[in-house]
This record gives sequence, C-alpha cells and structure tokens, in this order.
Amino acid sequence: MLHVAEIVHWAALAFMIIVYCARIVWLLKRPDGIDRQMKGEKAADNGAMMGALYSLGNVAMPWAMESTRKGFGFYLSFVFFHLGVTAGIWLAFMHWLKPIHHNAPFGWVFVAFIGIAFLISLGRIVRRFAVPYLRLISTPDDYFALFTLTVWFGLGVTAQAHLVSGQVDAFAMFASDGWLAAYLFCTSFFLVYVPFSKISHYLYYPFTRFWLGRTLGHRGSIGAARVRA
Amino acid sequence: MVATSNTYKVDKMVELLKGKLSRQVVGSLVGCVHCGMCHESCHYVVSSPDEPKYTPSYKADQLRKLFKRNYDWTGRVAPWWVKAEQFTDDDLDRLKDIAFGTCTNCRRCTFNCPMGVDTATLNRIMRGLLTQVGVMPEGVRVVSKDTWELGNQMGVLSEDYVDTIEWMSEELVDEVEDDDAEIPIDKEGANIAYTINPREVKYDPRSIAKAAKIFYAAGEDWTMPTWGWDQTNFGLFSGDDVLGGTTYRHLADMHKKLKINKVVISECGHGYRSTRCEGPNWSKTNQDFVMESSVITMLDYIKSGRIVVDKSKNSTPVTFHDSCNNARSCGFYEEPRELLELVCSDFTEMTPNRQENYCCTGGGGAMSMSEYTPKRLKSAKVKADQLKATGAKIVLTSCHNCVDGLADTIKHYELGMEVHQLVDMVENALVLEECPAMKKKAAAKAAEETEESDA
Repeated sequence: MLHVAEIVHWAALAFMIIVYCARIVWLLKRPDGIDRQMKGEKAADNGAMMGALYSLGNVAMPWAMESTRKGFGFYLSFVFFHLGVTAGIWLAFMHWLKPIHHNAPFGWVFVAFIGIAFLISLGRIVRRFAVPYLRLISTPDDYFALFTLTVWFGLGVTAQAHLVSGQVDAFAMFASDGWLAAYLFCTSFFLVYVPFSKISHYLYYPFTRFWLGRTLGHRGSIGAARVRA
Repeated sequence: MVATSNTYKVDKMVELLKGKLSRQVVGSLVGCVHCGMCHESCHYVVSSPDEPKYTPSYKADQLRKLFKRNYDWTGRVAPWWVKAEQFTDDDLDRLKDIAFGTCTNCRRCTFNCPMGVDTATLNRIMRGLLTQVGVMPEGVRVVSKDTWELGNQMGVLSEDYVDTIEWMSEELVDEVEDDDAEIPIDKEGANIAYTINPREVKYDPRSIAKAAKIFYAAGEDWTMPTWGWDQTNFGLFSGDDVLGGTTYRHLADMHKKLKINKVVISECGHGYRSTRCEGPNWSKTNQDFVMESSVITMLDYIKSGRIVVDKSKNSTPVTFHDSCNNARSCGFYEEPRELLELVCSDFTEMTPNRQENYCCTGGGGAMSMSEYTPKRLKSAKVKADQLKATGAKIVLTSCHNCVDGLADTIKHYELGMEVHQLVDMVENALVLEECPAMKKKAAAKAAEETEESDA
C-alpha cells in the first residue's frame, strides 16, 4: 500500500508541475504593464528593482505593513502555518530520510511543526465561519481548501508521530506505514487539486509582489527605493 | 415577440475586460486568498465596522467574479466553486454603487495586502468597464463630458480662463506694487509652464495669484498656457483610460507647442498622479519631458536662495495631510514636509501618516458623486478623529480635492479647523524685499532713478 501511495504521489507531483508550468505561461503571455513615467523625483536610480526586492522581502518584515503590525498574532500564525506546510511537504517527499524522520529529536520537531499548523488550521476554520466579512468573501474553494489542509496536517502529524515512536514501539512501527500511506494519498489529492484552487497563491506570490514593488519602487513610494531630497 | 438579452452591457464589459488583463492585473485577480488582512485598512470599514460589504476584497471580488467566469480555468468549469458569476445588466447599478460609492481608490488596502494584490487598481478597472457601458454616477458623466468638450474637467470656457488669469495678473501688480509684474500667457520658450486645477479658476483664483507672486519673487521665466492647462484628469476616477490618455496628451502637446523646459503641476493629488505617473501609461507614450509638482519647485526656490521666507509669519499650529495619490501612488512623502518645516513654525504630524495616512474621504472623485455623500461623511469619522488628535488649528495638504474633502469633514464633525495648501503658507512667509530677484530689481530701479536725477 505504501509503495503504491509513493508512486501515486510522485505522479501527482509531476502533474502539478506540468499544470503550474502551463499556468505560468498563461500568466506571462499577458502584456507587461510597465510604468512609462520618468522615475519619481526622489526615487533612487535603481528604484524599480529596489522596490521589487523590498516588496518580495515584505513577508519577512511584519513591521512594514499596518495589517501585520496590528495583527501580529495573525502574522505569527501565518509563519507557523507555513512552517507546518513546509514540514508537511518535506515529510511527503523526504520521509525516507530515516535519521531525520525516525529519530528523536528531529522527528519530534517535525511533529511539533505539523501539529502546530494543524491547530492553527483548526483555528482558521473557526475564524472563517465566525467572522462576518470572511463568511461574505469566502468561496466553497476557500472552505474546502482549509478543511482538506487540516485533514492533511492531521494525517501528517499522526504519520510522523508513528514514524518517530515506531523505533521503540512495535505497534507504532506497524501503524506508521498505514498512516504514511494515507498521508501520501492525501498529498496526491492535494497535488492534483491545488493548481485549480486558491492554494496555488504561492505560485503567484513572487510575481504579484515583484510587479507591485517594481512599479511603486519606480515611483519612489516604497521605503527602500527612497532617497532623501 | 423578439427575445431580448439582458446581458448586452455585461457582454461588452467582458470583452473590454480582456483588453485590461495585463500580467499585473491578472496577478491581482488570481492572487487573493481571502485572508481578510485588507479589512481594517479601509476607512469605510474603520468607520463602519459592522458592514462586511466594505471589506476591500469583497469590492474587488466583483471584478474577480466576472474574470473567473470568463477567463479563469476553474471559474469556467465550476463557477459556483469559486463564486464566479456572469452578471446581468440588472446587476450593474449595484456594481456601480460598490465601485464608486464604497471606495475612493486610496490604495491603503494595496499597501496592506501580504500578497501584493492591487485592490484599488481592480476597483478602478471595474469603474472603467461600467463607465464604458454608460453606467456611472451623474457627476462622473458630466465631468467626463466637460473634459472631452472643453479640455478641462469643470467646463471652464477659454474666455473665462483668460479673464481670470488677467484678473489675477492685476491682483499681482497691486500686491507687489510693480507695474511690470504679470502672469505671462502662452509665452513660447519659457522655462516653466504652470498648470492648474480648474477648481482654482472657478472657486479659488487666489491660489493662482499666490503662485504667481512666488514665481515673481523668484524671478522665474514662466507662463500659463491657454490649452493643456488643466493638470487634473477625471480618467483616473472614472477608470476611462482613453479619456485619461487624451487629457494627458493635452499637456504633453502644450509642452511641445510652447517649447517649454519644464511643466509644473500645482498642488493637486490626482492631477499629479494622473499627469506625472499614469498619463504616460494610459496614452501608451513614454514621458519625454520634465514635469514636477509645484511643491518641489517652491522647495528648490527656498533651498537655492531664490526666495527668502520667514517661518515665524506662520505661527498657528499646523498638521499635514498626505494626499493618497501624491503619497501612496507617487512616493511624494518628504518634500511637502521639508517645505512646511521651512515655512511654518509649529508643525505636528498626524498619526498615521505618509503611506499609512487615511484618505480625506473625498478622493476617487467622491466629491462629484453627491448621491454617496452620506456614506462618505460617515466614512470620514476616522479622518475626523485623526485630525482632532493633532490639536492643530490648520490642516495643510497638497491637493485641491483633499481641501474639499477635509473641509467637508471638518464642517460635518465640527472640528473648527481651517484647510490650506502649502502655496498659501509659502506666499504668506515670503519676505519679498529680501529675495535676490527683488533686490536686483530694486538696485536697477535705484540706479535708474539716480541716472534720471543726475540727468
């Protein structure tokens, strides 16, 4: 079963990569809306590129936006959520690295990351249902993506916990294959579904931030692009 | 009976939308994850927290629905899954109320989006699509028509414009007591062409006289053109790029025709953004001539010693309001502050400021859409609180639109403040007799008088 799950999830990854390539081609086939004005009066000479870099680095600068300053708790949850996603992806494709996944303390670090993300994911489901403006803007895709991601985290944390405890517990060792197979099937579903859902936002993220930063940097309205009068 | 469709306009909008889908726009359309981080960045939300429909992403989602239904994979196959929607013409009034009546395109949400989604631009595109199928607030229709017909957004006739300039020229003569002082009109080869907001001609001609006094004091070689003088551009508000590009070309052509060295734009946020930043994009021409805000011009005059000011003449406590278009969209943050520090002695920043400042609430053409005035004034609560907290008696801004928006807010919330522009402060702080050009003039006059008396 585990063997089949592994084959399926690598095939699903290949599918996702192909669809993503098509998606990027689709995006880049559009005309580039270049800012034609002369650079802003007090923008740096390299303002456009500096603006783009600043904009791309925005994710690591919670102080740069009012929304992340005021909502620092939400920002932290975003950080841990995505660390959990990274750990989950690593687990899906690198679980055969035994020294990392089967042994403490590394194995438990993975449990912690994915487990925290699982809890945050649960919190986000509650938030999406409870907050009126989020309910208003949410689509079935938003709910479904969050539900399945929560299941994925749940399976991931269980599979990883069995992997690491399997070294001392025969039952856990037996169960770990089953949980891992379930996790990999779930991952496969995700890999096929993601390109058609909002989860593919991470594909667009570098582009949207780059373009916005390039324009605003050219005009000198993003911090790093400014030079003093 | 002939069957009729009620999607004629929507079909046209879908067709027009295709032409708007640059990489940047598509990125913003597909990039939103509905995280809600933009929610509290909007002044409509802050002032009415119980109205979920003010959330910026909800407003942008209206365009997103149309895009997804017609141009995106998932939306075309399973529209209900991503709330894609093919509107009917019956929906357009509702969309108009959202795009024009609940957003001033201030771009505050754009700067607060972790994904880099330019929500304000999406709202402007929706406005443009609606405008092109004839669905727009009456004020927007009238102003657009005036711009097409007369080349300026307030329908100022050429004769009235020239009359006003000549009147202000006479005022200048009286003010500086110099018969040679004048506002030159259509002077070829001048260093500067000064372009203005038609509001100045119609409601605030003194601002022209004040700018003229500053140019006079600096000994500037300048002129005011009789065509291409309106630096404002309603294309920015209506979302009509064709109108925007054409209006921009008026100035560009004036610059070429009069062989001007530099076009100076009087203090106006949307005018500055339209002319300096967006006009070349709309007209699909590269900006090939120098233009600057009059704030930069005045600042350069003071720093280079061409005019002399005494800031103790402006001792009333002042604060400064960043125009959204000047600041967030054009990076114009520090220059106005540097200037007002030179001409005002008691300045307090309002909080938040610069790229985080709240809209005056009259932006995005809101002042011309009287049907939305009650909503606008309600949304101004946050601005009123911000102004009140400064304790200032005067709020300064570099934008005519903001002057009106702030004045309305101040009146509605009974704040007892005055609104002025930087040109008012600079003019008031001028020490005319100390300016080098004036000294030179006085010396020449004295020499002439000596010669005459010797003779």
